[in-house]
Amino acid sequence: MRRHIHRVAVVLVALMALSGAWLTWLVTDAASRYRDDPRNVRAQAGAFLPGAGRILTSDGVVVAEDDDLRNRRYPVGVVYAHLLGYATSDDRRGIEDSRYAALRRRHTGSISDWLLGLGSGRQPHDVVLTVVDPVQQAAHRAIGGATGAVVVIDIATGAVLAYVSSPTYDPNRVVAGSLDPGDADGESVDALIDRAADRVLPPGSTFKVIVAAAALEAGSSPDSEFADADEYLAPGSGSPIRNAGDGFCGDGETVTLEQALVVSCNTVFARMAVTLGAGSIASAAQRAGFDRYLPWETGAARSSITSADMLSSDPGALAQTGIGERDVRVTPLLMALIAAAVGNDGVAMRPYVVANIATASGESVSSAHPAALARMFDAAVAADLLAMMEAVVAGGTGTAARVDGLTVAGKTGTAEGSGGPHAWFIGVAGAEHPEIAIAVVVEGAGSGGRVAAPIAAAVITAWRDGA
Amino acid sequence: MTKRTEALLVVLSAAIAAAGTALVTVTTSAAITLDTLAAGATHTAAFGALLVGFRRWAPGASRLLLPLVGFITAVGSIEVFRIDPDLGRLQRWWLLLAASIGLLTLRFLRRRGIGALRRYRYLFLVGALALLALPLLPGGLPVGGATVNGARLWVRVAFGDRSLSFQPGEGAKVLIVVFLASYLADRRRALTEMPRSLGPVRLPEPRQLLPVLLGFAVAFLVLVYQRDLGASLLLFVVVVALLYAATGRGTYLASGAALIAGGAFAAVTSFSHVATRVDAWLHPFDDYATGGYQVAQGIFALAEGGLVGAGLGSGSPWLIPAAATDYVFVAIVEELGMAGGLALLAAFAMLIAVGFGIALRATDAFRSLLAAGLTIVLAVQTLLIIGGVLRMLPLTGITLPFVSYGGSSLLANVVVISLLGRISHEERT
Repeated sequence: MRRHIHRVAVVLVALMALSGAWLTWLVTDAASRYRDDPRNVRAQAGAFLPGAGRILTSDGVVVAEDDDLRNRRYPVGVVYAHLLGYATSDDRRGIEDSRYAALRRRHTGSISDWLLGLGSGRQPHDVVLTVVDPVQQAAHRAIGGATGAVVVIDIATGAVLAYVSSPTYDPNRVVAGSLDPGDADGESVDALIDRAADRVLPPGSTFKVIVAAAALEAGSSPDSEFADADEYLAPGSGSPIRNAGDGFCGDGETVTLEQALVVSCNTVFARMAVTLGAGSIASAAQRAGFDRYLPWETGAARSSITSADMLSSDPGALAQTGIGERDVRVTPLLMALIAAAVGNDGVAMRPYVVANIATASGESVSSAHPAALARMFDAAVAADLLAMMEAVVAGGTGTAARVDGLTVAGKTGTAEGSGGPHAWFIGVAGAEHPEIAIAVVVEGAGSGGRVAAPIAAAVITAWRDGA
Repeated sequence: MTKRTEALLVVLSAAIAAAGTALVTVTTSAAITLDTLAAGATHTAAFGALLVGFRRWAPGASRLLLPLVGFITAVGSIEVFRIDPDLGRLQRWWLLLAASIGLLTLRFLRRRGIGALRRYRYLFLVGALALLALPLLPGGLPVGGATVNGARLWVRVAFGDRSLSFQPGEGAKVLIVVFLASYLADRRRALTEMPRSLGPVRLPEPRQLLPVLLGFAVAFLVLVYQRDLGASLLLFVVVVALLYAATGRGTYLASGAALIAGGAFAAVTSFSHVATRVDAWLHPFDDYATGGYQVAQGIFALAEGGLVGAGLGSGSPWLIPAAATDYVFVAIVEELGMAGGLALLAAFAMLIAVGFGIALRATDAFRSLLAAGLTIVLAVQTLLIIGGVLRMLPLTGITLPFVSYGGSSLLANVVVISLLGRISHEERT
């Protein structure tokens, strides 16, 4: 009898051990598969949870937090509206949506935290951004009431330092219910558009950076000479392409590639695009991120150019593509990345805006790992582009972007738009070598050199003073 | 273990109950309320009284029992209080009542010893069957049955406009084990002999199989009339396991397994509530809105728990239906994590090992089988409900001993511990 009782005992205790092993497996499995399940109201229904964490800038400014009633509050709402978005009980947008669960996850940490952390154990996690508040504020001020966007990126890491879209809205009003984002005829419709990443525009002459890159790849150098012209008529095309001032770009005989970029010579670049061929232009653009998915925290629209097949059968379209018109469409975010690649030996880093998730006491729980997004240019090509773009700002169309104490390199653009030309500026800036990249666009506002470049200068100055 | 260590560990378990309650009140209401004092005082009073009772009336009892039960009860009372403070406060009164019943049990056996129970075995059997039948009384009388969550296993006693509910099945399981231990101690020779054979299978005299069939019949009736999957399975598994322990005959295990399989098949095909349970077990997310909701919420709670849990008071265990009763183990894992769940499982495993140790050292067959039977009840009940909420088995509504909210369960399990203590005392004298 003892023997059999012993056997029953062994079986039952073994089953207890099996339950323990099963528990270990099940918790691991459930944590990986069901933690953020949409039906898990723990993560989803704010009403059930005792509050969400804060969102802070890299310099510690709180840009989103809970108020006493556990509604979301945005202390500097309009300045960060398109990045943060908002979270209400039935609608979410921006980082408030992409990091919804992280903001409501309470710290569990290590066993010692658990034993010691009487208070900290119940604090939800904070999201720390890469954005630098003075730079963001400067961008917001500089663009003012105009329609457009500013994106500033740290070249070495891909960290986004400023991200502004204008016109903007106050997310506090969405939370309070006085602004309805779902109302298609409402005042918010225009303000809700994220012009930094979720809207594409023709890049105008900023696209000449891509064409110049294609020429450099094909063997040209900044000193290579091209025939100067006051107008260019592509084969089979009806309307000629002219320069901005309707004159020649140089002495009327030849211009170098560098000179052509410095004065943004339409006739030279239109002819260059046709000479290089549709395949060369399309592949240079695709290498630089056109026609590709761009990974971005809150989602980015796809930048595009007409396919090489269509361009090769239509030299007129190819010539216009060469000066960034026709069907070329790009987001300011991608243009900033292209500038960043020029300043980073041709490599664009993957853009990110969440530096880390941290406990309320500031201890990092998980951090972003900078990673390369793509090699957009060969290193030598990037070096040539950088030198030419420095000349653009030093003595070309981009002189308004000059900032004391820094070397600024860039390219202006003035793209045709239905309500007036879109003003563009893309560029890099740094003390000795390029450190940040910037893209500015102002819709329907005039020329890039007069409208966009000064905005860039203001933002770069704010970065210089803050850094 | 010295007496002093035992006393210290019991005090420690009361300290855990108080500290855990304090943590819950701090986290949920940012203040340490009188509940902390009440939890500590109740735990100290109940287990202090049991400790004194053991010292007086069963001084040779295993000193491992009370510290383990004290620890398990402390964890349970903290989590029940956390899920529903009102239930937690009510549970404190149940704990005091349970301790008094435990003391009465020890006092009753002080002279006569555990062997006295053998004399009353048919009384116990009749009592157990009566208790099982009690919920079937029509409602509306001063004493009547009541249906909760589709299972009719409650009895409601009315005092004027107030009423008190209890589950008589919890008491019945103890009485049935006492009866079985006593019956099997007398009959195990006859049950061990297998004079007949059917092909290669050796069988005992058919009439000797009667107790298995009777156990199965009672279990099945419980299933049919009370819709209580857990209690009926527990009952039957205990009968089969004890028969095997007493006789060492695999025939009983095989026929028991066959009857469980057949019964399960019949239940799934003919009772919709059983079929729903099985569906929810296998595919909780297919039928999320209705049948699978509870199981799915349990999975979410486990996911939230992770390694060390959300922290006491920081999870959302009340989202799981029946969090304080059937799902209390999952609620504990949500807030104390895999680490807390494993610690609790380890405590149960030790308690069960101690129980079987007492059975193996017992001086005669009755004591040995009684200790084994009581331990098997604890073990199988624990495994059924933990396996159920962890989806190793279909979920059967049954309490987790000493942890789930429930007065009848706590009462019955404290009696089990008192009996085990008394048996271990008698081994030493």
